[in-house]
Amino acid sequence: MTDKAEYREYVKKNAPGSPMFRSVFAAFLVGGIICCIGEGVSDAIKAIFPDMGETDIGSWTTVVMIFLGSLLTAVGLYDRLGRFAGGGSMIPITGFANSVVSPALEYNREGVFFGVCAKMFVIAGPIIVFGVVAGVVAGVIGLFAG
Amino acid sequence: METFLDYLKVFAVGGALCALGQVLINKTKMSSARILVLFMLLGLVLELAGAFGYMKEFASAGVTVPITGFGSTLAKGAMQGAKEGGVLGAMAGGLKAAAPGVTAAVLFGFLFALVFRSHSKKT
Amino acid sequence: MRAGRQSFKAEKPVYVRSSYSIVGPKEGDGRFGALFDTVLKDDLWGERSYEKAESKMHRETIRGAVGLAGTDLDGIDLMLAGDLLNELSASSLAMRYFKVPFVGLYNACSTFTEGILLGTALIDGGAADAVTCSTSSHFASAERQYRYPLELGNQRTPTSQWTVTGAGCTVLSSEMPTPEEDVRARENFAQSMREMRENCLNSAREEDRECKRRAENAPFSEEGVLGRLRRRLAGICRPSSVSEPVCDTAYRRTHIAKITGGTFGKVVDFGIDDESNMGAAMAPAAADTLLAHFADTHTSPSDYDMIFTGDLGRFGSEAFRFILKNEGIELGDCYADCGAEFYFPHQKTFQGGSGAGCVGTVFNSYIVKGLERGEWKKVLVLATGALLNKDTPLQKENIPAVSHAFVAESEKR
Repeated sequence: MTDKAEYREYVKKNAPGSPMFRSVFAAFLVGGIICCIGEGVSDAIKAIFPDMGETDIGSWTTVVMIFLGSLLTAVGLYDRLGRFAGGGSMIPITGFANSVVSPALEYNREGVFFGVCAKMFVIAGPIIVFGVVAGVVAGVIGLFAG
Repeated sequence: METFLDYLKVFAVGGALCALGQVLINKTKMSSARILVLFMLLGLVLELAGAFGYMKEFASAGVTVPITGFGSTLAKGAMQGAKEGGVLGAMAGGLKAAAPGVTAAVLFGFLFALVFRSHSKKT
Repeated sequence: MRAGRQSFKAEKPVYVRSSYSIVGPKEGDGRFGALFDTVLKDDLWGERSYEKAESKMHRETIRGAVGLAGTDLDGIDLMLAGDLLNELSASSLAMRYFKVPFVGLYNACSTFTEGILLGTALIDGGAADAVTCSTSSHFASAERQYRYPLELGNQRTPTSQWTVTGAGCTVLSSEMPTPEEDVRARENFAQSMREMRENCLNSAREEDRECKRRAENAPFSEEGVLGRLRRRLAGICRPSSVSEPVCDTAYRRTHIAKITGGTFGKVVDFGIDDESNMGAAMAPAAADTLLAHFADTHTSPSDYDMIFTGDLGRFGSEAFRFILKNEGIELGDCYADCGAEFYFPHQKTFQGGSGAGCVGTVFNSYIVKGLERGEWKKVLVLATGALLNKDTPLQKENIPAVSHAFVAESEKR
């Protein structure tokens, strides 16, 4: 039989890879647009509620963006965007919403309790766990630095 | 004109962050959760280093809409909590600051899962 | 009769008595679309989940094959079946509807050829006179089990494949019906299909009326997202579209297909650990089995009109040719991969189709029909299976693979 190392080398060299330029350009374009939508939402909130503080505007923007991401996921459009844009739709906060809502939709056939609720974080779980742990680390640093 | 320039900055910086993520996806075949965690930690570290504030001033939504913004919110909340509430504040501050986003995702996920189902895919 | 280390030859004739295939809508748009017995309009097929839909496809394809065989369930001694879902749930749940002994098989995507080999051996050895061999897979259920939720916006890598939504069943038998019996079986089956369709339509109309009645009595309007939400919460659903199996009564076979032997494969591990590049992981197993087959039966590629692999995909079949070339074997034009040919390039499946239903549906449509029309005299089918579950790659295991091959020949009736 063929040498295994030689075969692995062949596979590594010949397996088709992602088209670098096209995929990075798509990610840049879509990512940029989503960020601009975020900026637009934040500007709109600022215009409607002129008295609102900076932090609250940021939080509301996040909530609105997450709503938009969730809605597009729910109607079955976000995954099409993701097929095209890859990182462009994954890295904005809407992508986080997508990674929470998509398993919830997928597992609702197993019921609300053990389906939707139990499986909601199969993808986004690491983000929450890492976020909480890193937040505590940041807090400890804050304790000593501040 | 100034608004246009602002949006151009947002577009360029936000797009560049996502393009960087795409390069990582192409090169390392990382799954989406890993990419998201990586960028969140990036935002957190930048906030701790004090650089995130300047980036936000320059590109606002260009750095806060990507998940780096989530990381920065966590770090900022935790530092502030530590300042105001000691050890307990340091523990709770991060999640408290990030709570609106997490709550929104859980809430909308739950509500939409009651109404919608995953669709048949053809592509 | 054993032949060599891994192979056997059937001494008695083992006929492909009938075959049946059901596929989803995307598969119907593919290259073999016109050859399948049933193409569904909707891959949920009126069921509540994709798993249930897969099980229904499995059930109906067995029903179809048994119907076309001109026999009833009493004439079937054993059912060999498998699929990709956890603990073979699609096939075992489908088997509730048949009062026939059931043997569940799993060899990932090579389950179909495994079933054919075992069925041939059982009939040849006299343990059974007629068996069904069936497999199924479903894109949506496989995606959820092995990969990600359907709505997750991630990119497929260019080496990935598309799990075929489909089910195929072959009835192997030691006896072949006469052409007259064939015609009668087809007409009877078509009649029963028409009756079943009528029943389904009736019950759907009944359901429709019931839904309308409940919707009218319900205190909210019918249309829109809000209406849908309220209906869902109130348990009022919309009746399913009916697309039941149909039967082409004009089809006549001039030749008879039979299984004359085959080669059982070993598990081969070449150290590929990329779960999105199954073709590369499976190609060595296919090559291993093919070489063993040639050595055991003293044959070469020129003895076969066609050699089919299961679902290596476009790159996988290149890798397959690469390994064989190193061994001094050129396959040339008499080789095709069912998965790589399954979809048209514009259907965006990257490497092509995969899954237990891939070779199962292609064999029971394209290959059997080719044999029954006498286009080929002798073909070799070797399907490959990548042996992994969702946890093994996380535990840093490689992806080993296995491949089983059987020989199908055609003779004038």
